[in-house]
Amino acid sequence: MRKVRRRSFLQGSGAALGGLVLGGGAPFYFARNIAKAQEGDTIKVGILHSLSGTIAIIETSLHNAELLAIEEINAAGGINGKMIEPVIEDPQSLVQVFAEKAKKLILNDKVTAVLGCYTSASRQSVLPVFEEYNGVLLYPTLYEAQECSKNCFYTGAVPNQQLDDFEPWIVANLDRKKCYMIGSNYIYPKETNREWKALLEKSGAENMGEEYAPLGHTEFSTVINNIANSGADYVFSTLVGDSIVAFYKQFKQSGFTAEDVPICTPITTEQETAAMGAENAAGHYTSFNYFQTVDTPENKSFVERYKAKYGANEVTNAVMEAAYFQTYLLAQAIAKSGTEADALIFEGLPGQEFNAPQGPVKIDEKNHHTWLWARIGKAREDGQFDIVWTSKERIRPDPWVDYLYPNKDCDFTNQSVLDRLKKPWSEEKNRSGTMDI
Amino acid sequence: MWQQLFMQCLNGLGVAGILVIAAAGLAIIFGVAGVINMAHGQFIMVGAYTAALVDELGGNMFMSIPIAFVVVALLGLIVERGVIQWIYDRPLETLLATWGVGIILEVTMKFIFGTLGRKVDWPDLLDGSIRIFARPPHFPYYRVFHVVLAIVILAVTFYILYRTRFGLKVRTVRRNRSMASCLGIDTAKIDMLIFMYGSGLAGIAGAVIAPIKAATIDMGFSYSVNSYMVIVLGGVGNLLGIPTGSFLIGEAETLLAFRYNTVIGQLLVFIAIVIAIRVFPRGIFGYQERR
Amino acid sequence: MTINLAGGGSTPRKVRRARLIPIWALILGAFVLSLIGTSPHYIGSDSYVVGLIGKFLCFAIFALSIDLIWGFTGILSLGQAVYFGIGAYMVALSMKLNYTLENATRYGSNIPDFMEWNGLTEVPAFMAPLLSTPVAVALALAIPTLLAFIFGVITFKRHIYGVYCAVITLAEALILERFIVEYQAYTGGFNGITDYSNLRGAPFLWVIIAVTVVCLIGARALTHSRIGTVLKSIRDNDVRAEFMGYNVANYRIFVFCVSAFMAAGAGAMYAAWVGIVSFLDAGPMFSVEGVIWTAVGGRATLIGPFIGTFLVRGLEFVLSSSAWLSWLSEYWQFFMGALFIAVVLWIPDGIVGTIGNWLRKRGTGTLSQIRDDQDRLAHDRQRDWDPAGGTKPGKDPV
Repeated sequence: MRKVRRRSFLQGSGAALGGLVLGGGAPFYFARNIAKAQEGDTIKVGILHSLSGTIAIIETSLHNAELLAIEEINAAGGINGKMIEPVIEDPQSLVQVFAEKAKKLILNDKVTAVLGCYTSASRQSVLPVFEEYNGVLLYPTLYEAQECSKNCFYTGAVPNQQLDDFEPWIVANLDRKKCYMIGSNYIYPKETNREWKALLEKSGAENMGEEYAPLGHTEFSTVINNIANSGADYVFSTLVGDSIVAFYKQFKQSGFTAEDVPICTPITTEQETAAMGAENAAGHYTSFNYFQTVDTPENKSFVERYKAKYGANEVTNAVMEAAYFQTYLLAQAIAKSGTEADALIFEGLPGQEFNAPQGPVKIDEKNHHTWLWARIGKAREDGQFDIVWTSKERIRPDPWVDYLYPNKDCDFTNQSVLDRLKKPWSEEKNRSGTMDI
Repeated sequence: MWQQLFMQCLNGLGVAGILVIAAAGLAIIFGVAGVINMAHGQFIMVGAYTAALVDELGGNMFMSIPIAFVVVALLGLIVERGVIQWIYDRPLETLLATWGVGIILEVTMKFIFGTLGRKVDWPDLLDGSIRIFARPPHFPYYRVFHVVLAIVILAVTFYILYRTRFGLKVRTVRRNRSMASCLGIDTAKIDMLIFMYGSGLAGIAGAVIAPIKAATIDMGFSYSVNSYMVIVLGGVGNLLGIPTGSFLIGEAETLLAFRYNTVIGQLLVFIAIVIAIRVFPRGIFGYQERR
Repeated sequence: MTINLAGGGSTPRKVRRARLIPIWALILGAFVLSLIGTSPHYIGSDSYVVGLIGKFLCFAIFALSIDLIWGFTGILSLGQAVYFGIGAYMVALSMKLNYTLENATRYGSNIPDFMEWNGLTEVPAFMAPLLSTPVAVALALAIPTLLAFIFGVITFKRHIYGVYCAVITLAEALILERFIVEYQAYTGGFNGITDYSNLRGAPFLWVIIAVTVVCLIGARALTHSRIGTVLKSIRDNDVRAEFMGYNVANYRIFVFCVSAFMAAGAGAMYAAWVGIVSFLDAGPMFSVEGVIWTAVGGRATLIGPFIGTFLVRGLEFVLSSSAWLSWLSEYWQFFMGALFIAVVLWIPDGIVGTIGNWLRKRGTGTLSQIRDDQDRLAHDRQRDWDPAGGTKPGKDPV
C-alpha cells in the first residue's frame, strides 16, 4: 500500500510536471518562434483590435478597414517596393491584454507602428507601453481629447471638430434653444457635455437637464419620461453602443417625432441606423466628419471596395473611414522617413496629408491630431444621411478648446517640449506635449 | 409630477412583463430539472436573430414568435441530448457546461450573421402608443403587448402543468424523482421535454425583446442575470414566484431609477434581494426541500 | 491547526500526517525556480513573457482560492472576482494616488486624471488613508475578507448553497462591476485605473513566486488538517456532516473567508504587477473564468488550478495571435467553449485528477475513489482511537 502510494506520487509528479511544462511552455515556445520569424523584406504593422469579447462588434469593422487599406497598398506595389505585413493580435476586449499585446508587438514582433484601439480605456492602457518603448500608435476613434502623447497620432475627431459648428447650427437652422443631454456614463459623454454646455451658454440656449445611463443600458422609459417632464425641444445624445438603438426606438414608440423633438448627436452612425431600422432614426441629426453619402470620388471607390470585400450589406462609417485613411497616412509617412520610430514621429507623420474619402485630411504638426472636415447629416428613411451642412474647409483639431481651457495647449514643435522628449524614458517619464501657456 | 409617477409605475409594469417573459423558461427548467441554464441569455439571442431573419424574409413578429419557439426548442433539444442529460446529477457542473454552450452559440452566431446588429420591426398593429395624457410620453403598445404576452405565457404554462396528464407527470417528477421513476414515468423524457419547452420560451423572449432594441450578439447576458434574480427572489416552488419576483424587481428598479438613478436602483434592488433571502431562503414562493 | 469549530467533544487528534510539502512538489518547485532563475530570457529582460508569468501566477492563486471553496468544500462561487477586484482596486488606487502626487498627470494636476475629469479638485477625505502603502495593503486584504464574512453569514447560516449561492454570487459580481463603472470619480469607471508606476521586473516577480508558495503550503496545510477533512465531508454530504455534530455553516463561512483573503491577496499583487485595473477584473466573466481554470486543471487538487490557469490563459494568448493561425484569430473562442464542455463531460476530475486516475487505475481506483478511501480510512482510524482512555497504536497519546 505504502509502496504504491510513493510510486504513484512520483508518477503523479511526473505527470504534473509534464502538464506544467506543456501549459506554461507552449506560449513561450511560440513566442520564440514568432521572434525568430521576423527578419524579411516586409514592413511589419501591428493591428490591435478586439476580435472577441464585448467591443469586438465595432472593432472588427475597424480591423477590416485597415486590412482593406493594407491590401490596396500592397496591390499598388507596397511602400518603396516593400510589402506591408500585418501582424494581427486580438486583445479580447480586455484592457490589460491590450497592454500585453502592445508590448509583444513592439518588443517581440518589432513592428514599425501599430494601428489600433477603439475605446479610450484601451488607448489609455497601451499609451504607457508605447511611451516607454517608443512605439508608434495610430488611433482612429473620435474621443474626448485632452491628451497628446509623443507616441500617439489621433486620426479620429476631437469634440471641437464636431461640436463647435453643430450647436450654432441648431440654434440658427432648427431654431431650438432648450436642450436635454443624455449620455452613457463614462468619460467621453461627460467631457463632450461639458463642452456642449459651454456652447449652449455662448449662444444663449438653455440646459434643461443632464442624465447618464449605465453603459449598455437598453431600458429608456425613465429617461424618456424625464425628457418629457423637462420641456426640452431637442435632445443632445452621447449614448454609445446598444443604448443608441434602444433609445431611438423607444423614443419613437413613446410618441415623440423627429419634427417635435429631434435627437442631435455626435455619435450615431450608419451602423446604428441600420441596426435600429432606418425609420426610427429618420429626421434626427448627426454631426460627423464622414458619412457614407459623402460625394467624393475617393469615397465612392472606398465604399465600393469595402462592400466588394466584406459583403454588400456592410455599411461604412466615420471611425472605419479614419481607420482606413490612417493606414495610408502611415504608409506615406514610412515612405517619407523610413521605419525608425523617432523619424516617423518627428518627420514622417506630422504634416502628412492624404486625400481621404471625407476629403483631404492632414495630421497637425503641433498636437498630433488630425485636420478633419465637419458635416451635419439628417438621417433618411433608408438609413443613410442627407448632408445638410459641410464646413468650408477642414477644421483644426484642438484638444484643449480655448473657451474651456484657455491656459493649456499642446505643441510638439516647441523647443522646450522637444528637449524634454529627447531625454531617455528613465529620466523623463512625461511624454506628452502638454504645456501651460 | 403625478403624471410622471403614474407613467413610471406603468413602465415598471412593462419591465416586469419583459422579466416574466425572459425568466419563465429558465425558472421552469430550474424548477423541474434543477438545472440553471447559463446559456439562457444566448438562447434569447438566438430567438432574437430568428426573429430578425423572419423579419428580413418579409414576415412579422406574430409569425416569428412560433418560429422562434420551435427553433430554440430544437436548439434546447440538441443541448439537452448532447450535454446536459449526462450531468443532471452534477448541478454545479451544468453551470460550467452551459456557460461553454453560451460561448459557442455567440461565436457561431457571429460567424453566421456577422458583427452588425440586425433590426427587427414591430408589426404595424403594435406600432404606436396609447395616449393616456395629452402630451408625450405616451404608453407604447408594445409594453401592453409584453404584459399581455407575459400573462398568456403564465396561463399556458399553468394549464400545461396543472391541467394535463403531462403536467401531472412533471409535478410528480419534481416532487420525488425516484418514486416517479418507480411508478413507470420516464423521467429522462420529462426532463427533455421540459428543457425544450423552457428553451422555446427563451426563443419567444428573444423574438419579442428584439424589436425594442436590435438583435445583437451580446444582448443575452444582462437578461439572463435579471432572470436569475427573478428566480432567487420569487422562487420556483410555485408558478406564482415568477410574476411576483418580476413585478417586485421591475417596479422597484424603475421607481428607484426615477427617484435616484439607474445604477443606484439596481444596487438597492440587489441589496434588498440579499436581505430578502435571509427571510425567504428559497425565494418567496420557494419549494422547501426535504432534508 | 487545532481550531475547534465543532461543538463539544474532546480535542480531536491529528489522524493523518501528511508532509507539509510533498516530495513531488519540491522537485517541481526546484525545477520551475531553476527554469526561471537561470534563463535570461525570462528574468532581467523586459520581455512581455515575464509580465505574463507574474500575471498568470496571480490568476493561479485566484483559481486556487476558488479551488478551496469549490473543490474542497463544494461551494460554487461565481463572484469570487469581487474579492480579487476589491483587493486590486485598493492597491491600484493607492499606487495611482501616490504616483500622481509625485508626477503630474497628463492633464497637469496632482490628482488622478479620472478624479479631475469628474470635477474633483482634491483627493476625497475617505481616500486619504490609501496614501499610505501599508494601510492600503491591509485594507485590500481586510475589506474583502470582511465582505466575505458578511456574505457568508447571510447565506450559509440560512442554508443557501449550491446553485442558489452560485447565482447570488454571480449577481454580486455584476453589481460590483456596475458600481465601479458608475462611480467613476473614485474608481476610474469604464476606463479603469492605469498609468501608474507598477512594480516590474525580477524583484517583485520573486515576491509573487514567494506568495504563491506560501499560498500553496497554506492551502495544503488547511486541506490536510482536520478542518480540511471536515470541509471535504461537507462537500460530499453536508447533511451527514451536520448530523455528526459539525457546525456546517461556520465551516463554510470560515473557508469562504480564507478563500476571499487569498483572492484579495492575488488581486493586490496583480494590481501592483500589471499596472492596469479595470472593472472587468471584478466582474462575473472573470469569476467564471477562474472557475473554468480550476475545472480544467483539476479541482480538489492543489496543483490543478495552476496548470489550468497556465494552460488556458497560455492557449488564449497564443490562439488570439495571428502569428499562430490567422484564420483562427477571430473564432478561437469557439474552442474555449468546447473545452469547457469537454472538461465537464469527459474529464470532470480535470487534467491533474485524470492523469492521477489513469496512473492509479490498476492500484486502487480513481483519484476521487482514493480520496474517498483515504478519508474513510482516516475516519475509521479516528473511530478506533477515540474510545476513552484508548491509545494511538504504537505511540504515546497526544
